[in-house]
Amino acid sequence: MSIKIRMRGKVKGDVAEVKALIKHKMESGARMNKKTGKPYPAEFIDVVDVSINGTKAVDAQWSGAVSANPYMGVMMKAAKGDEVTLSLKDNTGATGSQTIKLR
Amino acid sequence: MKRRSFLKGTLATGAAAVAVNAGLLTPSTVLADWNKKAFNAKAPEDALNAAFGMSNATASSDIDLGAPAIAENGAVTPIKVDATKMAGVESIAILASKNPFPFVCEYSFSGPALGYVSTRIKMGETQNVVAIVKAGGKLYKAEQEVKVTIGGCGG
Repeated sequence: MSIKIRMRGKVKGDVAEVKALIKHKMESGARMNKKTGKPYPAEFIDVVDVSINGTKAVDAQWSGAVSANPYMGVMMKAAKGDEVTLSLKDNTGATGSQTIKLR
Repeated sequence: MKRRSFLKGTLATGAAAVAVNAGLLTPSTVLADWNKKAFNAKAPEDALNAAFGMSNATASSDIDLGAPAIAENGAVTPIKVDATKMAGVESIAILASKNPFPFVCEYSFSGPALGYVSTRIKMGETQNVVAIVKAGGKLYKAEQEVKVTIGGCGG
């Protein structure tokens, strides 16, 4: 099971803004199932890493309070053609990763 | 018979090692550990103590916190924290002060990364969004009230 990620990165000057849209339901564990009276089990992305040309740049930790189908935008010093990799995992152990070349 | 099972065993472990090398099985240790204590804290101060080891943050006008004045749907509140004006930004955390678990997310930066984050968070009710920026070993903050018409924390 891998998590789907759509990513885009554009360089302006010497800074790139990398944007990612991740397909995930981000269930916090607090939402109640009205039919059964029990909460939906928690299922959310908890760790996200972004690296550029193999160097770690951003290391993020999320909770279930990040919206469903999360959007994330980060900035870093970069040049055109650099490779940016985003890898993540959720609390159930599912993982996902995506690599793009900056334009 | 012994020889047969020995061969089978070596073949199986060999295949697993190849899979690891090819990057098919990513060892979980590559990704950092999740800070359970900070995320499970019910008060913003406790969460900050668990995440940064301190909770007193100075208000700073160098942090540009972009949040809507009114969020029609609390389940999707766009938040932007721009601390690129500050030097030595180590991490940015976003807290929703009145959420059941206020600590929403934390980003730490290293190497080429700049102190900038944009994301979307869930908010249960009208409350202050707090952006915490750790720079040069100290905490700085920016706050903004967001009015929520429809809560987004389930119920």
